Amino acid sequence: MAASEQSSVPDTDIPDYEYIGVNTKPFRIGSVRDGWLTRLRPKDYSYQQEDKDTFEANFAEAMGISEETMAELRSVCSLDSLRCHAEDELPDTEVVPPDSTLKTLIQRKKRQDHKASLKVNKNRHDLYADELERLIVGRTPKTESDRIPEGEIILTINVYYPAVFEKFNYIRPHMTLLMTGSHNLTELRDAICCISDLQVCGEFSRTPDMAPDFLCKDHFKSAFFFFEGVFYNDMRFPECQDISITTINWAKSHNFPPFTQAKMEDTLLQDLKLKVGFPYLYCHQGDCEHLVIITDVRLVHKYDCLDKKLYPMLTHKHKVLTQKCAVCHLFIARWYTTSDQFAPSDPCLFCDKCFRMLHYDADGNKLGEFSAYPYVDRGALN
Amino acid sequence: MDFCRRHVKSDCEELLSRFRRTQSVRFEIFSGIWRDMKFASIFYGTMFHEKRPFARLVLDIASCYFLPPFSFQIRVGGLYLLHSLYHSQDTVPPEQIRLALKDWEEVKKFERDAVNAQHFDVVFILHQLMSCKAIHFTAMPTLIMFPKKRKVERSVLCEDFVERVARPQELINIDLLEELSNVHELYEKMKSSVTSQAESSSMNLTHKDLTSRLRGAVIDFHNWQQTKNGVDEEEVSGEGTSSQLESSKRAELLASIKSKAFGEAAEMCKSRRHRQVEVDHPVSEEESPHPSGRSRISKPSLRARTAENIHISGEVWKEALSRTTTSSLSTLESTAEEKPKKIKRFKWR
Repeated sequence: MAASEQSSVPDTDIPDYEYIGVNTKPFRIGSVRDGWLTRLRPKDYSYQQEDKDTFEANFAEAMGISEETMAELRSVCSLDSLRCHAEDELPDTEVVPPDSTLKTLIQRKKRQDHKASLKVNKNRHDLYADELERLIVGRTPKTESDRIPEGEIILTINVYYPAVFEKFNYIRPHMTLLMTGSHNLTELRDAICCISDLQVCGEFSRTPDMAPDFLCKDHFKSAFFFFEGVFYNDMRFPECQDISITTINWAKSHNFPPFTQAKMEDTLLQDLKLKVGFPYLYCHQGDCEHLVIITDVRLVHKYDCLDKKLYPMLTHKHKVLTQKCAVCHLFIARWYTTSDQFAPSDPCLFCDKCFRMLHYDADGNKLGEFSAYPYVDRGALN
Repeated sequence: MDFCRRHVKSDCEELLSRFRRTQSVRFEIFSGIWRDMKFASIFYGTMFHEKRPFARLVLDIASCYFLPPFSFQIRVGGLYLLHSLYHSQDTVPPEQIRLALKDWEEVKKFERDAVNAQHFDVVFILHQLMSCKAIHFTAMPTLIMFPKKRKVERSVLCEDFVERVARPQELINIDLLEELSNVHELYEKMKSSVTSQAESSSMNLTHKDLTSRLRGAVIDFHNWQQTKNGVDEEEVSGEGTSSQLESSKRAELLASIKSKAFGEAAEMCKSRRHRQVEVDHPVSEEESPHPSGRSRISKPSLRARTAENIHISGEVWKEALSRTTTSSLSTLESTAEEKPKKIKRFKWR
């Protein structure tokens, strides 16, 4: 932290709030990286940690203080001075101290007592909350070439589920992805998992094995992101269409400010100009619309997962209740039948196994009259 | 994790106000208070999956005190608090302290102040945090996800911690005074050249001694500030003076004035009294739901109101209620009857 006072980057590139605590003014994502790199010394953001002795020696030299002062400083500022218990007794850190005066702990104690009085002490969110973290924390790459370079930026991106269920107006189910600035938008697109990509259209009661060949994902490949007045279209494949043109033409005919277009595959995340914290749009399968919020941009840190191959990295995913099979109540429903003489209701849901046992003979021939449609549960990607 | 924000904040403010009362910026003093309050135990007993979010929350709250508008002493306290919290958290790897790009200049300024005043422990701890990679260099101070809140909680700045205003002094400095006197001179000259009778009263729109008067006013203000809080300045002298240490007295005074002012504000001002409507009480006394504080009466939900207002003849309504659910078709008849669910809710207060 030597006094290296330079601000070659103009002040306008320092992100600041547009509305405090809500969102920022638009800025280029990469400018955060440039801003920090001009201000910091390489060792401030490197992965290498300076060892204690060199640090202290450097400090004493820079401040011009003697060895005695340094020794005193070391003892005064040592971490032992923060210990709140005697040296030989270790407190139980899993238990809330009962006699604390801290308001946080008084509340936590109350909350814990309340939880203990409930019959169910763990819900499924609690059980699996750290599932993803367990997979990713502190992974180091196998080869040096897979390592994320120092000074790279990491973006945290929240992709929200389409608000098609009434319940979703009150909670905000989303997935959280970590990506680096050198990823492009198509990589973000491919990392977003949405059940509408997995839908299958059609009636398959005669040929149930054929169903997986007709995934929507493979048929309708067009999609776009919308950031700050620009539509980024996915044009990687010949069958991709520009589905944003309808909106653009409509806006033109209604005297709205014009929108522009760009290609998703040509755009790196760090070249985007947008507001952090502001909701933008991802639209695919024609009308499946997700809100996208970039919640954070920062320099990579040595405790991050440094393996390039694991990015884009999923760090959070909301769990949705699943519809179970009407026969076994165990497996997630895969088939949806109508006018089905074997079913207890019309329509009715079955898992794959029960569906086949009930509706087909040993050779796979259809029994009776019914129509069957593949069903993709919204919790299928849990 | 938001439920405990208020409590964490008040705990931090308690610690910092105790630190402020000591009028010191020494780490020993801080760590004494830290130990006395057993502050490290704030992390004890968090459930496993809540550890990380909680550490995040605590560090975010604490890092506010490290930045302006707080006084130098509070900012030192904030730095010590960050350092202590960072090393006391029990998550592996630890959660980092977030530092936004726009706040970097402030941190550098703070560092220069500390170096100039020879507060080596402050600089040492700041450098140590940098050296052990405790800091995330970020675009913004917190993760922002377009929050929408039903109850907007205004974050209140702790008055006592805020730095003394020095804007008048900053604005009216020597350069400005010089400039002003030049302009004034020029103005006078032009005036005298334009009008023949120089001492006409209609032309006397400005004071002749404008600059000296302005200077006098600023000095008066400064002196007033000094006398307001200069009383115990000598006692701190051992600490080295970083000009901003002495905010406390004035702040206390301000706080007492404010509390007095607000104490009397309960009565409505005269011009509005006629608007006070006699409230008629439709609810009987014992079930009046809001004994104190809240001004707005919360209505029951739309759904509840609809259910109350719309009366559908018994048969149809019952049918609508007991819609066939696929899953209950294959369950046994006896268990299929629904019991009204009772959910115990936790009250956050």
